[in-house]
Amino acid sequence: MSKINHTAQQETVDSGPSTERQLIGDRGNHLLDRIEGETGANISACYQCERCTNACPASYYMDIKPHQVIRYVQLGWHENLMRSSTIWVCLSCEMCTTYCPNEVDVAGVINHLRNTAAHSSIPPKERHLAVFHQTFLEQLQRFGRVNELWLMNAFNRKPHILKEKIKNGTLKKEIRLGYALWRKGKLHFIPRRSKAIKEIKEVYRRKRGEVF
Amino acid sequence: MKLSFYPGCSLEGMANDYARSIIAVFKQLGIELIELEDWTCCGATAAHSLSEMMAVTLPARNLATAEKLGLDLVSPCANCFNRLRFSQVMIQKNIYDVPWQVSGDLQIHEMTRFLAEPDMIKLIKQRVTRPLSGLKVVCYYGCQMVRPPKITGFTDYENPQTLDLLARAVGAEVRDWSFKTTCCGASIGIGRKDIQESLTGRLLQKALQTGADAIVVSCPLCQSNLDIFQMDAGGSGIPVFYFTELMRLAFKKNDKAHKWFKVHFTDPVPLLKEKGFLT
Amino acid sequence: MESNQDKPCGKVIVIGGGIGGIQCALDLADTGFYVYLLEKSHTLGGTMAQLDKTFPTNDCSTCMFSPKLLQVADHANIEIIPLSRLLDLQGEPGRFTARVEKQPRYINEEKCITCGQCAEKCPKKVPDEFNGGLGKRKAVFLTFPQAVPLKYALDPKTCLYLTKKKCGLCKEICPTQAIEFDQKPEIITLDAGAVVVSTGFELALTAHEGEFGYGRYQNIVTSLQYERLLSATGPYGGHLQRPSDGKTPKKVAWIQCVMSRDPARNRPFCSSVCCMHAAKQAVLTRDHEPDTEATIYFMDIRAHGKGFDDYIDRARSTAGVRYKRSMISQVYWNPENDNLLIETFDHHLNRKVEEEYDMVVLSSGFKPTEAFADLAKRLGIARNPYGFLSTEFDEPVATTRPGVLVCGGVETPKDIPETVIQAGAAAAEAAKLISTARNSEITVKETPEEEPLDPSPRVGVFVCHCGTNIAGVVDISRVVDYVKDLPHVEYVTDYTFTCSTETQQALVEQIRKHRLNRIVVAACSPKTHEPLFQDTLRKAGLNPYLFELANIRNQCSWVHGNEPEKATRKSLELIRASVSRAVHLEPLQEKSYKVVNRGLVIGGGVAGMTAALTIADQGFDVHIVEKDSLFGGFANQLTETLEGDSPRRLIRYLKERVIHHPRISVHLNSQLVAHSGHVGAFAGTIKDKVGSSRDIQYGAVVVASGGKPYEPDEYLYGTDERVLTQVELARRMAEEPNWARRLNRIVMIQCVGSRNEEFPFCSRVCCSAAVKNSIRLKEISPGAQVIVLYRDVRTFGFKELYYLKARKKGVLFFRYIPEESPSVFSDDRGLTIDFTDRNSHQKFRVEPDLLVLSTGIRPNEGAEQIARLLKLARTNEGLFLEAHVKLRPLEFATIGIFLAGLAHSPRFIKESIIMAKSAGQQAIKILCKEEMTTSAAVAEVNPDLCSACLACVRSCPFGAPFINEIGVSEIPPSDCRGCGICICECPAKAITLKHNTDDQINSKIDAILEQALSQN
Repeated sequence: MSKINHTAQQETVDSGPSTERQLIGDRGNHLLDRIEGETGANISACYQCERCTNACPASYYMDIKPHQVIRYVQLGWHENLMRSSTIWVCLSCEMCTTYCPNEVDVAGVINHLRNTAAHSSIPPKERHLAVFHQTFLEQLQRFGRVNELWLMNAFNRKPHILKEKIKNGTLKKEIRLGYALWRKGKLHFIPRRSKAIKEIKEVYRRKRGEVF
Repeated sequence: MKLSFYPGCSLEGMANDYARSIIAVFKQLGIELIELEDWTCCGATAAHSLSEMMAVTLPARNLATAEKLGLDLVSPCANCFNRLRFSQVMIQKNIYDVPWQVSGDLQIHEMTRFLAEPDMIKLIKQRVTRPLSGLKVVCYYGCQMVRPPKITGFTDYENPQTLDLLARAVGAEVRDWSFKTTCCGASIGIGRKDIQESLTGRLLQKALQTGADAIVVSCPLCQSNLDIFQMDAGGSGIPVFYFTELMRLAFKKNDKAHKWFKVHFTDPVPLLKEKGFLT
Repeated sequence: MESNQDKPCGKVIVIGGGIGGIQCALDLADTGFYVYLLEKSHTLGGTMAQLDKTFPTNDCSTCMFSPKLLQVADHANIEIIPLSRLLDLQGEPGRFTARVEKQPRYINEEKCITCGQCAEKCPKKVPDEFNGGLGKRKAVFLTFPQAVPLKYALDPKTCLYLTKKKCGLCKEICPTQAIEFDQKPEIITLDAGAVVVSTGFELALTAHEGEFGYGRYQNIVTSLQYERLLSATGPYGGHLQRPSDGKTPKKVAWIQCVMSRDPARNRPFCSSVCCMHAAKQAVLTRDHEPDTEATIYFMDIRAHGKGFDDYIDRARSTAGVRYKRSMISQVYWNPENDNLLIETFDHHLNRKVEEEYDMVVLSSGFKPTEAFADLAKRLGIARNPYGFLSTEFDEPVATTRPGVLVCGGVETPKDIPETVIQAGAAAAEAAKLISTARNSEITVKETPEEEPLDPSPRVGVFVCHCGTNIAGVVDISRVVDYVKDLPHVEYVTDYTFTCSTETQQALVEQIRKHRLNRIVVAACSPKTHEPLFQDTLRKAGLNPYLFELANIRNQCSWVHGNEPEKATRKSLELIRASVSRAVHLEPLQEKSYKVVNRGLVIGGGVAGMTAALTIADQGFDVHIVEKDSLFGGFANQLTETLEGDSPRRLIRYLKERVIHHPRISVHLNSQLVAHSGHVGAFAGTIKDKVGSSRDIQYGAVVVASGGKPYEPDEYLYGTDERVLTQVELARRMAEEPNWARRLNRIVMIQCVGSRNEEFPFCSRVCCSAAVKNSIRLKEISPGAQVIVLYRDVRTFGFKELYYLKARKKGVLFFRYIPEESPSVFSDDRGLTIDFTDRNSHQKFRVEPDLLVLSTGIRPNEGAEQIARLLKLARTNEGLFLEAHVKLRPLEFATIGIFLAGLAHSPRFIKESIIMAKSAGQQAIKILCKEEMTTSAAVAEVNPDLCSACLACVRSCPFGAPFINEIGVSEIPPSDCRGCGICICECPAKAITLKHNTDDQINSKIDAILEQALSQN
């Protein structure tokens, strides 16, 4: 009995979803060369074994799976990557990089793409995540350290965030959590500061010609 | 013995209980922790995600301060440790240039690894007056502490031992499990609660499967993430301890000990009472 | 004394007692040289001894291997030195002196009678290394029941007496006082003309690496541990159990490429054999436990040998093995039931799926042994970066030190047949070096005179347990009880392994003691074991034809495993029949004849030329016949190998040597048109294109008829000039670099004309050809886009490094599946190719300048004529079929004819050279003999009954019978193979097959039916 059920499971059946046919155009190796050059990641060594995708705890939530990210970079499909949820959903847990037999720094590549996307005009697919990272840095610039209460407050004041939070019910949960934390003495109303942040900001501005 | 100490933002905020227990434990071990003067945030996931340059620059100044102090640096937070090491490695490799004097040979200790050295374990065992025998725990290391191995220096990234050794040193019974370094998703909690919840939920379920009474952690984000997740579970969840809390408990009979745990969402006091560690 | 100085030493040191070392030792000892066979452990056997079964036949590994082991153990010119290691090697090729250290066994080999009492009484139990640490053995032990030498040994690391001076029980109870605690290591000096290194490989995975939780979770085992686990002599007696709780696993998973193809662990090469052994283990698992599911997680299936793909297909479709193309990162453990969890991303469901397995087997790659690193230093030979002793393309068994040769798994990871082949090549090179000293150091085995036959039959019956193979099903004591009362039976006994060396000695003693003159062994198949027992009879002074083998294993215990009662009854009947036939057996005399010391090589390609030179360089004459006007064969079309060697330069060199060699007669433009005779004394006719013919005589034949590239009709080949084959591309790149420089986008399609209905084999070389040409294209024009569409990339062994190189150069590899093979269109503007990439699950279109087809290799047309003439078997695809895929890969079923090169199967030039050298060496085994003997079990015509109807002449597949001068049929004994066809055809019953007379067969049938008839 088991024999019969078993045979049906052939490799060919276990195929993925079909998509539109895409032309491998003339984009060449620019993207690949650039990212390999900037990150030192060994992208072209990939043999598509899917170890990264199997290792990734968030692959389910990604529209382009980690092993596909590498392929897209090889094909020069930059825009698809910039518009993907993958670059924002990535947890930077480094599972993919750690388990890659070819020493492809998959997490490094995704991080690099996220860095680029953050500075591009393409609206991030995961807006909340992008805005949160941005808010975190703003807080950091302001105080030199980050206070959870101030961070959440600043985040909620970003356009549309509060509205969406009310809509999906997370705000209610957050207020409850905030109250509980306050009761437990874990929230501080006065943020701690570090003076050194001014110096760091100045260094960054001089180097990059921009405020972070 | 003296060490320089980089607490990180969390220990000033939500993980202030962790900070308290660290200070107490180190005092009992006779090690002086000297907090870095005017330290700044390491940049955490945000700086790393948006600008690698910033991810190197932010910790670099802290490294410079520590080098000037001339003491080994110890970091209690997995994320801070990772960022400090990342910055140090990038500077060592001459990939980024920073205006501060950073030679790159500062010894940065991840706190559990520092304490799990054979000499320290011996010292810890000497200090134990109330062994936590009968307490079954699983140790959860999280991702930032051990990965990527080239940055963190953990060669046993799939099966790290430092927390296991420490928990055993204070008398607890350590259960093996496969999810020691599986990501809990804390970093994504604000923007994508759903992802974080599914990852955390799975971890807790796997921890319960081992038959453990409690989870032992060393990362402030992991602790709050695993603990807060159980907020709605009432008292029925599985307590999540900082390893230093267990050490503190084992070191000295303290009638006020149950107060420490008031800040936990899953109250460990009934468990500790049942095991006879609290009255 | 003086001549001794000039002459090389006729001895060879072979280091390593695995299948490679054993084969090499036999190939040397059978051609007139004396061999020291050094082995570091207690016994010969190596990795092959640990295997349970071998694919594709799923034959028992031990059953195949033990006759070989015995042959070595018994060989007058092979001296086995176990527990030894080479300390240093002085001198030069031809005259080496080696210092060898022998570790003590602590048991006197001469005195030990292998009774096993010491192990029974020994109180110290330790993990059994031979079983991968899964079971326990005692501190005094026998590695495995067929060990050679079959003597117990003390483990000094765990023996209580040797470590703590306590116990000493074994010494007290040993009936022969064989235990010697005070043995010390000794150093001996050996002279030899050459040294062969065949130290094999071991698993690269250790608990230290901890890959996938190995060493952490109990139910994760290595492939070799699993092999022991399946084995009847393994820790669980061949019952499939998992280590943690002894339960039969319901789901087993294999993970491939562990410690292989893993640059991150500095193991960037492929271990070549793991894909096939995983398939075999999965099939055997389904066979053992039909309800157990078997799943293999893999990247590429590397089934690059003859019939390998067929085996994989059968594993999938018939055995129901599930293949999942997905590499695992981590294995999780379920603490509740010790099961293991494997998570993969399912693209169809677009989520992760977690599957729970009772057991996980890690198909670990291989590395050279620990001891080899030391040996290499002592020998002063260079290793490759991964510790292997890799060799050059035209010197495939040479190391960096002249006179020191290499074969087997230490060269690159390889399977059993490739090892056996390379062992022969190493033997050939060693023999070439010292060929003038042939027969100078050997001793001739003396067999006692046959004793006069007692007229009354006195039958001795020996019943074999075959470990648990037979005894696990059949009630042996009942069999023994029954047999002793059969008519004429004088003596009955039983042995655990009747085929062991030790038992042979016992058989001789029993035969002498009880004056037995008919011997029945109730054990296994005569095909594998009859020659062994016949030899034993000779030693006992009995005629070898007075022997009968009752097969109570293959034909009884194996097939009736679930019915022990019935199996026991069947055993009784089989033995009764055999005893009945034995009574009718007659002594027969074998005849001897002179050997023609001249060889014949068919085919003038690389393999043919190499085989001819191998034979000629050792001082034997040889004919080489080539149908074309030039030498070189297929290799003439090749410009460069993957590794950058030049086949053309090689051909030039070989050609020069062949043409000018005084011992080689060259016949170009010629074909062998007639062939007759038998091993050692063939006769044939060579005819050239002009029509003139010449009769020749030869003692052995090497068939190297070669192959040719497949001419595709797929993918617009032949109709569009932008479609080429790999061979054409390579040539054009070399000839017109400017043309290549102008190419912008090139697509290659793999498996064209291979792995399909018509030619189901993998052509083995095309992946490497594509990798080679794509690297070359990228070198000529780094900006060009090179896309390779493949099914599985089969760059096995160190060729994997080039696959990595190609990827690093930016070559893009996409996987397609045969059901969705790429479609190619062309119009005025160019070519368009549509394909689906099965890794990223995406459909692509690409418009290249050039399409290159990786076309496979097919056998030459000439093969058919040769097969018919020489009566050789071929596969459906036209490739020649060897006698035995594992242990006789170079031989044909027809004795005296050997096989090399593409005629056997698609292979690389280097592999063809190895095979040709080895085939040459096999031929020399015959050519170096003065005379040979024929079997006496042949057909004989009674001239009085023959009416010359020609029925026998027509029916004989070997063309033996002829009508002689007195007008009746005659069958020369040397031509007869004893197949019996003529006997059945003869209407007058004029022909008798000796050793299978009507009397003998009828008595057997009667005896079998006796019970049935009496019941009615």
